[in-house]
Amino acid sequence: MKRNKTSPLSRAFLAVMGNEKRQAVTIPLFAVFLSLIAGAVLMLLLGKNPIDGYISLLQGCGMLPKEKYAGGKGMFTDLMGYLDIWTPMLFASLAVAVAYKAGLFNIGVSGQMLLGGFLASITVGYSPLPAVVAKPLTIVVCMIVGALAGALIGVLKYKFNINEVVSAIMLNYIFQYVISFFILTYFVNPVTRQSETVSAAARLTLQDVQLFGMKTVVPLGFVLALIAVFVMHFFINRTRQGFELKAVGASRSAAEYAGVSTKRTILMAMSLSGALAGLAGATYYLGYLGSIQPKVLTTTGFDAIAVCLLGNANPLGILASSFLITIITKGGTYMNSSIGVPQEVSSLITGLMLLFAACGVYIRARLKRVKDRLEQEEKEAKKEGGKA
Amino acid sequence: MDDYIVEMRHVTKRFPGIVANDDISLGIKKGEIFALLGENGAGKSTLMSILFGMYEPDEGEVYIRGKKVETFSPNHATELNIGMVHQHFKLVSNYTITENIILGMEPRRRIAGIFPAVDVKSADKKVAELSKKFGLEVDPTQKIEDLNVSMQQRVEILKMLYREAEILIFDEPTAVLTPQEIEFLLEIIREMRRKGKTIILITHKLEEIKKVADRCAILCRGRLVGMCDVATTSTKEMAARMVGREVSFELGKEPAKFGAPVLNVDHLSVKNDDGFTVVSDVSFSVRAGEIFAIAGVAGNGQVEIADAVAGLAPVSSGTVTLAGKDITRSSVRARAEQGLAYIPEDRQARGLILDFTLSENLMLKRYYQEPYCVKNVLHRDEFDKKSRELIERFDIRSGQGEQTVVRSMSGGNQQKAIVAREIELDAPCIIFVQPTRGLDIGAIEHIHEQILAERSRGKAILLISLELDEIMNLADTIGVIYNGQLLKTAPADTLTTNEVGQFMMGVKE
Repeated sequence: MKRNKTSPLSRAFLAVMGNEKRQAVTIPLFAVFLSLIAGAVLMLLLGKNPIDGYISLLQGCGMLPKEKYAGGKGMFTDLMGYLDIWTPMLFASLAVAVAYKAGLFNIGVSGQMLLGGFLASITVGYSPLPAVVAKPLTIVVCMIVGALAGALIGVLKYKFNINEVVSAIMLNYIFQYVISFFILTYFVNPVTRQSETVSAAARLTLQDVQLFGMKTVVPLGFVLALIAVFVMHFFINRTRQGFELKAVGASRSAAEYAGVSTKRTILMAMSLSGALAGLAGATYYLGYLGSIQPKVLTTTGFDAIAVCLLGNANPLGILASSFLITIITKGGTYMNSSIGVPQEVSSLITGLMLLFAACGVYIRARLKRVKDRLEQEEKEAKKEGGKA
Repeated sequence: MDDYIVEMRHVTKRFPGIVANDDISLGIKKGEIFALLGENGAGKSTLMSILFGMYEPDEGEVYIRGKKVETFSPNHATELNIGMVHQHFKLVSNYTITENIILGMEPRRRIAGIFPAVDVKSADKKVAELSKKFGLEVDPTQKIEDLNVSMQQRVEILKMLYREAEILIFDEPTAVLTPQEIEFLLEIIREMRRKGKTIILITHKLEEIKKVADRCAILCRGRLVGMCDVATTSTKEMAARMVGREVSFELGKEPAKFGAPVLNVDHLSVKNDDGFTVVSDVSFSVRAGEIFAIAGVAGNGQVEIADAVAGLAPVSSGTVTLAGKDITRSSVRARAEQGLAYIPEDRQARGLILDFTLSENLMLKRYYQEPYCVKNVLHRDEFDKKSRELIERFDIRSGQGEQTVVRSMSGGNQQKAIVAREIELDAPCIIFVQPTRGLDIGAIEHIHEQILAERSRGKAILLISLELDEIMNLADTIGVIYNGQLLKTAPADTLTTNEVGQFMMGVKE
């Protein structure tokens, strides 16, 4: 019973995907590649040219020039707008990643964003404080509130063994409805039906700035988000606490055996995750939007899960994956208005990306099998060669 | 030749890196108890997995009732009336016994002649009948989670009988049982032979083979090295063939030089998660330069003693003193720093973080200390430097040196890594729990040498093992545990293997 030789196709695939270490990068890229192809097929079915579609995505984010711009606006305007919405996504994805590294699933990022954003709005956003005080204070309030909200989930987890997914989902609802009640009762703007816009002094995104002869927004939080990526990268890979966090995530019983306090680590991970979610809330509600729409929970915290998984829960990976996914979500609006591809298509591509990224384990297992087989064949070939 | 119900001809099965079965030919007669003897990793389970259709042989053929097997799958094996009780049971814990047994082939009925439903009642009856017929004594309506291991095993047996298996394969069935339960199981097996079933018993325990089997095939490193009639072959002869050489259990053990007591356990009681007392009122002390071994059948509280001493299980009463300091309520880390090293029973879930690198795992007890961690920042180059030193000193083999992910390493090398890490701590007290479980002869010898070397260095060693031979060879003092209590504590040279065996089964003086 002789096994079939490994086909050249799977050999080539293995060569492209590389060894285990390289696969951490190539498999997500492969997932992106597959989902872009699937998106292209979708656009073809809708009778649109997929190349035009993808170009319009980039145009919508200010990475390729559009044919014409409204007065006083330009490619730079779009780019800054893109950075404005990328910022909260980056923070939110880092929030998911920190919890994920500790073996926890923080599905409550959206709720923590909202709570932080709301409390910062009513304390700092509606105060007459000058910008130098108000902007840092906004950030601090959001971080602390987010950290406390995250810590609550952590306490419920280790004290009462309540699954963090369940408590986070419940808390999402609680935050959403309680805050809606307060906004509609005390802080609503009767015209927009949203909360009153926060003061320009507290807002983290500068509005209507003239730069390079163009009117644009300036998202100050973006710089902070970039710093956060590298700080988190250092924290997870190089610090003692990061090591303990990963140990608890990889094997709770072994971490306990090694003398790590799992309770403290869980609490720390959830607080940190919550603080990052708070930063996402600050840059979203007091930056990008400037106000809060009641009864709506942003999808940022949920999209962040997709971003985190696609980026292998690695801060640098997340930088790349959030860059990509934000292009698709943000550019979707322009793709709709310019060539008439429904905005849902961009959501679909994002969803497919997650789906293919989740197949990563399967692809990895397949690759390993091909590799083992190749090694076996080589050995046999050597043996036969030796005999002859 | 033609009366063989199972015949394997020149079966070879390779896995990456090893030949699990090498050109094995054997025949099994209808209605006999056929034992497959061999050490861990000798290829017994692989061979039987081929028979049960879980693997396809690379070369060779399998014949059942004289017909060549063409398709290898467990479903096909079931059609051929082959059943297998795996080492790890495959049961749904919140289903009843009957529900587990009928799973996948549920008898149907229609409520009011229309709505399809599972006919549990008639199944219950059938299961009860089968249970009675073979003397299995189970209540079909009980849930699996309420059953002990021995009962769960009987459910697995019933599952095969319900599927009308004629050829029954048992993979290490006695590994998890107490002596009484083993007796009961062996009686069931005899009863099944009387009813005309063919039974294949995979084991490495000679006494069991001697008790029930008719014929026995001996495997060693993937090869069939012998076939014997059990009645006419001595256990010693079987053992020699199994290991592939004359068995000498003599180790170079230096004469004992005991020092002051290092570890004192005083009236220790431990409760498990369900609130049952699993260790009750245990007292002993381990001196410097002494190996104190706790012998006992699995599940009698040994592991809980080790966990309680290491701080991983809460002590309900009593005290633990290490080097004169009461550590009963100390944290795991405080105990380690006080001078306790611990090689745990479950090396994959406790002792190692499988997805971390070898270097990270070797530093698992030291990562927070200087020079590996300065001001909360890890120094990976120091990790790697120390790891390379340990890898060299303890001969740990892995694909990519200290950067190998531990999951990809062999069991023996994983264990070496744990032993290396714990010995490197240079703690005055070392606990070894099942240090050689699942390892091959070479690795076992290596670990035994390490234990004895630590003894010579004046360490107090607490050894907990299920292998009586290991205990008899290494221990200076033996404590025998039964049902959570130390029944007997005595110097090793005053006890014979037989006596220890009797205490293990709960026989009191």
